[in-house]
Amino acid sequence: MIITPEKLNQWLDMGKSFTAVDIRPNEMIKELPLSKLNPVIADINSIPIINNDYVLICQFGIVTEGVIYEKELKNAYSLLGGAQAWDEFQLEKEDYSRWSRQTVLSEIGLEGQKKLIKAKVVIVGMGGLGCPAAQSLMAAGVGHLKIVDGDKVELSNLHRQPLYSSEDVGRMKVEVAKDKLERLNRDAVVEVSDLYLNEENGFGIINQADIVIDATDNIPTRVLIDRFSKESGTPMVYGGLFLYEGQIGVFNVNGGKGYTDLFPVSRPNKDNCSSTGMLGMLPGIIGNMQALETIKLIVGIKPNLAGKLLMYDGMNHSTQTIML
Amino acid sequence: MIKITIKCFSQVKYALGEKELVLEIDSGATTQDVEKLIRKKAINNLDNVSLSVAVNKKYISKVIVLNDGDEVAFIPPVQGG
Repeated sequence: MIITPEKLNQWLDMGKSFTAVDIRPNEMIKELPLSKLNPVIADINSIPIINNDYVLICQFGIVTEGVIYEKELKNAYSLLGGAQAWDEFQLEKEDYSRWSRQTVLSEIGLEGQKKLIKAKVVIVGMGGLGCPAAQSLMAAGVGHLKIVDGDKVELSNLHRQPLYSSEDVGRMKVEVAKDKLERLNRDAVVEVSDLYLNEENGFGIINQADIVIDATDNIPTRVLIDRFSKESGTPMVYGGLFLYEGQIGVFNVNGGKGYTDLFPVSRPNKDNCSSTGMLGMLPGIIGNMQALETIKLIVGIKPNLAGKLLMYDGMNHSTQTIML
Repeated sequence: MIKITIKCFSQVKYALGEKELVLEIDSGATTQDVEKLIRKKAINNLDNVSLSVAVNKKYISKVIVLNDGDEVAFIPPVQGG
């Protein structure tokens, strides 16, 4: 039997009892998760026995139709058009009024909003910069965030990392952030990695994203992000802080210059938040500026900071931009 | 002699206590000469800090000769996040 995305959506709305079974390979599932269906993941050759109605889902709806026919599966439906059609249907029936205050902007519009919903952004570092960047991107409707951090919440983080509360101290940052971010937009996907980005995992993390946000707190990781950003062709939105000053840059866009072109000799030093101090508003400002540049890149809005470094001084609110 | 403006950012600003300096330097002086001057003024406070240089708001990767009226920015990498 075949079921259309529209009919399947009616089942969901009615609260009908059924099981969705996703038989796609892991990389396809990661690339295009099935929102709202909470599917069971199964191998095509070992589909579990299910007594009530179930819907088999592949990428385009062709494989599942064949499987049901060949194996003479009872109570089984093939989703017409597969995951692709489901995703498109969800986008079409989306209630865009949620974003009406930004879609009314001529630079965004409905087309821009659809790009945001389809976009995948990786944020490396869920500290002072990562928290506000993630919040703003979720609120703006970015459909898929991957957050990467191996750190736990500490009491001294709370004044500048507004996703975390007193009761979260000791928990993994990415787990707390996922909980909070998913409450912001239940239709978005928040994927987590509770590891620090390193030589081994860096390319895989950055390569699967449309944009990588550098929200880290150390220079060696910035250099790694720049390297994998260059190698994968994924633009890098950089942010850095020192006392009351912040830097924002958009690097490696269409083969343009990157972090290590600007800072070819950047030695790690002892200047960090714990040694020099930091007011929470500064990462709030810079993290939001990173989110703004990310939105501009996804939608294609110019001018942006591609190939530039902007320096912001929170003392007198002056900025200076240099060309790379 | 030529007159140039130095823009100081992050550690440079805090090491020198100034956001902007106007200097008179010898004609023919280079960005490298000015960087040495800045490091000397900062005593030892910039010893472990690498500096990128922009002249007239354009990053430069090589040493260049400066002209009268140039604006030279010294930008350290910052690591806070």
